[in-house]
Amino acid sequence: MGPFMPIKSAIFAEAPSTLAVVVLSNEPLLFLSTDLQIIAASISFCNAFDIDAATIVGRRLGTLGDGEWNMPKLVSLLNATASGSAKIEAYEIDLKRPNQKTRQLVVNAQILDDGQKDHVRLLLAVTDMTDARATARQKDDLLNDKAILIQEVQHRVANSLQIIASILMQGARRVQSDEARDHLQNAHHRVMSISAVQKQLSTSQGGKVPLKAYMALLCESLGASMIADQDRLSIAVKVDDSSVEADVSVSLGLIVTELVINALKHAFPDQPKGKITVSYASKGRDWTLMVADDGIGMPTGPATPKAGLGTGIVEALAKNLQGTLEVSCAEPGTAVTVRHHADAEGQTAAPSAA
Amino acid sequence: MKNGRAVVLVVDDITLIRMGAVDLVQSAGYEALEAQDADEAIRILESRDDIDLVFTDVQMPGTMDGIKLAHFIRNRWPPVQLIVASGRDILEESSLPTGSQYFSKPYNDHAITDAMARLLQSKNSG
Repeated sequence: MGPFMPIKSAIFAEAPSTLAVVVLSNEPLLFLSTDLQIIAASISFCNAFDIDAATIVGRRLGTLGDGEWNMPKLVSLLNATASGSAKIEAYEIDLKRPNQKTRQLVVNAQILDDGQKDHVRLLLAVTDMTDARATARQKDDLLNDKAILIQEVQHRVANSLQIIASILMQGARRVQSDEARDHLQNAHHRVMSISAVQKQLSTSQGGKVPLKAYMALLCESLGASMIADQDRLSIAVKVDDSSVEADVSVSLGLIVTELVINALKHAFPDQPKGKITVSYASKGRDWTLMVADDGIGMPTGPATPKAGLGTGIVEALAKNLQGTLEVSCAEPGTAVTVRHHADAEGQTAAPSAA
Repeated sequence: MKNGRAVVLVVDDITLIRMGAVDLVQSAGYEALEAQDADEAIRILESRDDIDLVFTDVQMPGTMDGIKLAHFIRNRWPPVQLIVASGRDILEESSLPTGSQYFSKPYNDHAITDAMARLLQSKNSG
């Protein structure tokens, strides 16, 4: 069938332009009399629903195809529309044809009444939603699968970290030398600080880690495993509501782990009470991290400015975060501060000596 | 109890994690038994009457996961204490039997041994 069909305006007195608009409509469209006789049908309708365009005009809606359009509900709605008492808006109906998959349709219909009683017309627009709905369902399924997959990965990561932490602890329990045990326990703490990031990530949206919750978890864990007398030593956490990328939080967490362990080991040899404070605040892209204790304080002088910083991990991490490192007397005690300024980004910032 | 030491049954399908948990239990001074899934755990519980605490993972193959196992044990052997660990976030304590403890993986060893000590003590004095 060619792209144009003869426009029969002889049977009904319709303006050719009206008929042309219907015929060429992109959306399947039917132009009907009130007794559901087809005056004009869009080519798109004939193509979509396999109706011969050459013979459709003049037929009753219910006689099209194998009679599949003779749906009682549709017919009664169209009749109600024709009498002016209803308008069909987004009505969903299933088109069932023999040996074919059911199509999900959405129909809109309205009356066209120009005042002449025997010239009332119906306009019926039909949209086939079947494919769009299937695509939407498929998308939902994929999103669901994706969520399940991510959960699986989190689970495996948690198990892997458990294995590593456990092996380190088993090692620590077995070695004879204190120094070796110390190294293994430190390694264990660092693994736990990374695990804490994982836990935060698994519960947060958008892949960022809320620092307040993370630092609280981290310090609670460190306190639980390293502080024998919780009435004597404590760790306070003063962190604002910042959220940072996972790798930044890992670095911050490792710095805090290192500094807290050092303070617990060296800052309170004789003190009856001691407190370590971990604080973090950010403003725009600038941030400051500080770990301070109220203990015995650092040996003064230029001799060992970084003695309180442990193995050099802290310097390396601070540099990695493009931050400056400062060790100062807190009187009493020691404060180690890492500062990051946004204008340092993109340059290699060398840590400043205390 | 056996020979004055509490008996703890460790349930986890991943061998390395189970071994680590057994080591943890033994280093805390308890006797450790192990099972790789709920079915094996139940067989062991049926075969002896001296198990004081079950420390189980959640995600395991077999007829039931750790949560269902916890409920099963509470129903059948009410005096047995329960600790449940999971690698997935989730787990509202409300879905576990009352009095059982939940930890997410990787767990802090001290937190687990503290919890075991508390639960075993409450069992003896209760």
